[in-house]
Amino acid sequence: MAANSQNGENLKELSGKFLGADEAKQATEDIRRGEELLGGHPAPEPDSQLVADIKAEIGRALVDRRANAFKRIAYKVAAVAAAIIVAAAISVKLSDRGAGETKEVVTASIIPAAVWESDDIAVDDAELGTIVGEIEEIEGDVLALELGENGGNGYEAIEELEVELEEIEGVFWKG
Amino acid sequence: MAKSDDLGRIIAGCKEGDGESFSQLVDIYAGRCYGYFYRLTGSKETSDDLLSELFVKLVEKIGHYRGGSFDGWLFKIASNIFHDYLRDKQRQKRLLDGRKEQLELEKRDGRQGYDERVDKLQMQLAKLDDETRELIMLRFYSQASFKEIAAMRSEPIGTTLSKVHRGLKKLRKLME
Repeated sequence: MAANSQNGENLKELSGKFLGADEAKQATEDIRRGEELLGGHPAPEPDSQLVADIKAEIGRALVDRRANAFKRIAYKVAAVAAAIIVAAAISVKLSDRGAGETKEVVTASIIPAAVWESDDIAVDDAELGTIVGEIEEIEGDVLALELGENGGNGYEAIEELEVELEEIEGVFWKG
Repeated sequence: MAKSDDLGRIIAGCKEGDGESFSQLVDIYAGRCYGYFYRLTGSKETSDDLLSELFVKLVEKIGHYRGGSFDGWLFKIASNIFHDYLRDKQRQKRLLDGRKEQLELEKRDGRQGYDERVDKLQMQLAKLDDETRELIMLRFYSQASFKEIAAMRSEPIGTTLSKVHRGLKKLRKLME
């Protein structure tokens, strides 16, 4: 196995950049003979069983990778769907309050840009778990509004929801 | 060795998660990578572990390969895995004990020729300093150019050339 022949490198020319002509010639010869010596003493080959085991392990890793990719997409779709439902519920509540007051509807980008763009499944899973938790909390608040569990102070509850959405939209989630 | 077109096709298959392409990559590189690990550790068992670790890591990292010398890229990962292994102090101690044992065996037996556990080249390699030994093995098994190796190690090409030259010269003398 002669490195020189594999990578197309001109060793003599390269050595000539750092050494005098005679020294470069000698260095080239030393390297060539040294690498011949290594080639004459081959290391043991990996067992065929080891190679088979590695291939099987790669197969398992590929299956895990596909499963993680699917899980990741499913999380994102679920989180987006939940975000749409929450936004729709808030809009309906606000419109039910009558046309007298128009108030800006606060929405939030529930999925941070970093999660969309990242390839780090482990970190994303943790972040998506937190997002799902936030969405569930908001859904609980919306349900409380619908059931009138807020003591009749609907606007206060809506404002609280808006604050929560603004927090989600804030710097923390920008990644 | 696979032609560069074939290798490109295989790598593209690996990036798409094709098991058969990974299998071909293992067939192409397992021998050289195993030799690299074996010559650095002197242990078949450790080399088995490191080789497995390398290819599993390859599944994770193949998407990050952006062209250039694949051999150089792969051996850079192999080198990182070897360094991680060395950083494990317990393993490092075992490695040193293994080398000591090799040298003691050499003194006691004066054995010549290839032996599965201890061959003459392995014994003489153990007498080189760690950096030189690794550099020589990286050059030999990765078949990378001095320019690529210097880039991998973030050092001037003249330094890499000089270290390999001196190391190989010393190794030849030890083997005489």
